[in-house]
Amino acid sequence: MWRYIIRRVFLQGIPVLLGFTFLLYLLLTIAPGSPVSHLRGVPNIDEAVIAQREAQLGINEPFIVQYTKWLGRVVRGDLGLSFDSSRRPVAELILERMPATILLSVCAIVVGWGIGIPVGILSARYQYSIFDYIITFFAFVGISIPSFFFGLILLYIFALKLNVLPAGGFFLAGETKTLLGYFQYLLLPTLTLGLSDIASVARYMRSSLLEVVGQDYLRTARAKGLSENIVVYKHALRNALLPILTLMGFMIPSIFSGAVIVESIFAWPGLGLLAIQAVNERNYPVIMGINLMFAVLIFIGSLIADISYAIADPRIRYE
Amino acid sequence: MKRMVLAAIIFCLVFGAAAAAQEPQYGGTFRYGLTTNPRGMFNPVLYTEAYDAYVIDLVFDGLISIDKNLQPQPKVAKSWEISEDGKSITFYLHEGIKFHDGVELTAKDVEYTYKTILHPEYTGVRYGSFAILSGAEDYKNGLTDDIPGIQVIDDYTIKFTTDEPFAPLLVQFGYGILPSHLLKDIPVGELETADFNRNPIGSGPFKFVEFLTDQHVILEANEDYFFGRPYLDNVVFQRVALDALPIYLRQGRVDYAEISPENYAEVSAIPGIDTYIYEALSYSYIAFNMRQERFADPVVRQAITYGFDRETYVEVLREGFGIIANAPIPPASWAFTTEGINEYPYDPDLAAKMLADAGWKPGKDGVLEKDGMRLEFDFLVPEGSRVTEQMALLFQQNMEDIGIKVNLVFMEFSAAVDRVDAREFDTFTMSWSLSVDPDPYGIWHSSVPWNDPGFYNDRSDELIEMGRRETDIEKRKEIYAEWQRLINYELPTMFLNYGVTIAAVNERVQGIETEPGPTGPLVDMEQLTEIWLKD
Repeated sequence: MWRYIIRRVFLQGIPVLLGFTFLLYLLLTIAPGSPVSHLRGVPNIDEAVIAQREAQLGINEPFIVQYTKWLGRVVRGDLGLSFDSSRRPVAELILERMPATILLSVCAIVVGWGIGIPVGILSARYQYSIFDYIITFFAFVGISIPSFFFGLILLYIFALKLNVLPAGGFFLAGETKTLLGYFQYLLLPTLTLGLSDIASVARYMRSSLLEVVGQDYLRTARAKGLSENIVVYKHALRNALLPILTLMGFMIPSIFSGAVIVESIFAWPGLGLLAIQAVNERNYPVIMGINLMFAVLIFIGSLIADISYAIADPRIRYE
Repeated sequence: MKRMVLAAIIFCLVFGAAAAAQEPQYGGTFRYGLTTNPRGMFNPVLYTEAYDAYVIDLVFDGLISIDKNLQPQPKVAKSWEISEDGKSITFYLHEGIKFHDGVELTAKDVEYTYKTILHPEYTGVRYGSFAILSGAEDYKNGLTDDIPGIQVIDDYTIKFTTDEPFAPLLVQFGYGILPSHLLKDIPVGELETADFNRNPIGSGPFKFVEFLTDQHVILEANEDYFFGRPYLDNVVFQRVALDALPIYLRQGRVDYAEISPENYAEVSAIPGIDTYIYEALSYSYIAFNMRQERFADPVVRQAITYGFDRETYVEVLREGFGIIANAPIPPASWAFTTEGINEYPYDPDLAAKMLADAGWKPGKDGVLEKDGMRLEFDFLVPEGSRVTEQMALLFQQNMEDIGIKVNLVFMEFSAAVDRVDAREFDTFTMSWSLSVDPDPYGIWHSSVPWNDPGFYNDRSDELIEMGRRETDIEKRKEIYAEWQRLINYELPTMFLNYGVTIAAVNERVQGIETEPGPTGPLVDMEQLTEIWLKD
């Protein structure tokens, strides 16, 4: 097992990350627009000042030099300084926003999976019942509706019309942080972010369980006189959960990237806003930092999925 | 009975006092709603974002402040004197002004602040504003350690000198004064990463308390403020999602916010919220690339302007939020004039006639042609604003009516800027935000990089240079009036509209400027020392 993990990390993970960062940096530098474009608005600015700024940021150098320098710093654990006027370390910018994004993502995962799995099970258990049809219908609505639209609808109903929940944000300055407060601020963004997960997890769970239920060994279980509930919940469920585990590994990073959009609707103080702003301003070190982090997360996610699969399913062995 | 009468009298007194409660009260938190959070660069010489400036304006005081008519007013400097030859300004500082850490502010701090801007390793963007000071260039290039243009006379007197009279200089001295005792040991090149920028100490009416990224900035009243403690206990800049701003205003969770025209109808209908619409120091335009021969004749540029229905653009597309512009100095500025300014009212027939008279004839496909040139061109439009995109469509339609073919090229803003900088455009639209002084040098002089249309005109350059040298404001007005008439005739760009800003204020906020100039109801934060909250 360990040999497998080490092989995955060194032979697969690192080359993929290298290639990914190389391509991303290349794209950034050949894309139109420059990190100093915004200086256009500054009155009385000198051309010499702009040239000086370009030199300070190092963007007057050829791509390969810029990338090598960036990589050299990253290897030493330094993500560089942000290009915006605050000139703060990128790692700091990311780290101070991580807790909010993680909090939101974890809540969305808990809601998405906590609701999605039981709903999918019931839907499969009572296949072709009214309940199943209703769930199927809402699952399709949930998958199809864009999260920004759903978020705006929630804001409109609960914050504006009913006035029972805050319209986004995360605790006003000076507001005491109560448990109820956390709940109120988290509820709408969590639902918005979790909705498509509830829907897709429920659909996966349903089809996975249905597939297992049709297997021969379950027919055997039924044949020896076990009740349908025991057949489904005890024997089928454990096997049906296997593919869902893999799915979880891959969905964790997508939750993070989904958060980017949801955060900007709800003014959630996480990574989303930072990412959008960085792209608009061609803030290379911040874009690189965030994407590197996502790439690592995706890699870890898929690794965890594979490993947990091996643990859960004795038929699978990595050598 | 007696007691009741007494009670009644007391009641009347109390009630009367309450009714006449125009006496300002101390206390309370003023919440300013921002849709973009500050970056956390709270250093007056290094910031570039307007939202950082909001905080800086309250934590720091400058030598002067700017009033609602854009005129300089005393602040840290109790007075100033401009020499007869117009080449030097001497500021006389108040004695006893203290930084938030208790150390007195003196001319040394002023010197440090402005010398930092001119330093060879300075990383900010303000050098251009002060490069005019005597010896600044040599100092910037590292040839000398001394700037003759900045001279500390005593602890409370400092003199700035230029080689030539330079009228726009005075109003640039509003930058917050830095505490040299805290910063002088930090190399200027490393100032931008100093902890000070995130925990600023100034001499302004409010002290910095806390900055939470993407959430809020909290400031508290400076009890020992030289000009008297502000009425407010706290000022909070609260980040709010753009779409949620009207809800926050309605719920009283923010007291003040600038809102977009799209939200105006909704917000102005909220009971207890007042809205103010005021002129901004900005304008939008369509620039012609005058390096191209087809745009070289002013008649072509004038005809295109006559041919565009700017009234529909301002009144319908912008829903009236804007003022049709015909020259590059907005009405909010003291240098604005309408005298001798052609308004180019929408007149497609006149436009067509002018082009025909100038020798432009329809080609095979109906597009106007002359000597091998065609009036078919690309129109570069930055994406992101619905109004601008609709304007582009209207422009395309209007031009088609007079035989001009416009191809719309929509592009992300930063990419569009690239094309403009490379001069790879036929026409494009953008806007300018202007500084307090009307000096047009930075945008219109033939020597500057931001002269995007490529407008090179000797008389224009001459007038711009004269305007910078003239210290008498009445004479400057005349110079700029003539210059505006020249630009209004030449039209290197078609002026679309001057901008307006809309502010929404909760009625509990007292003491705002109710007839705001371009600095708004808060007079660029200056008014926060006067504002108080009614309970």
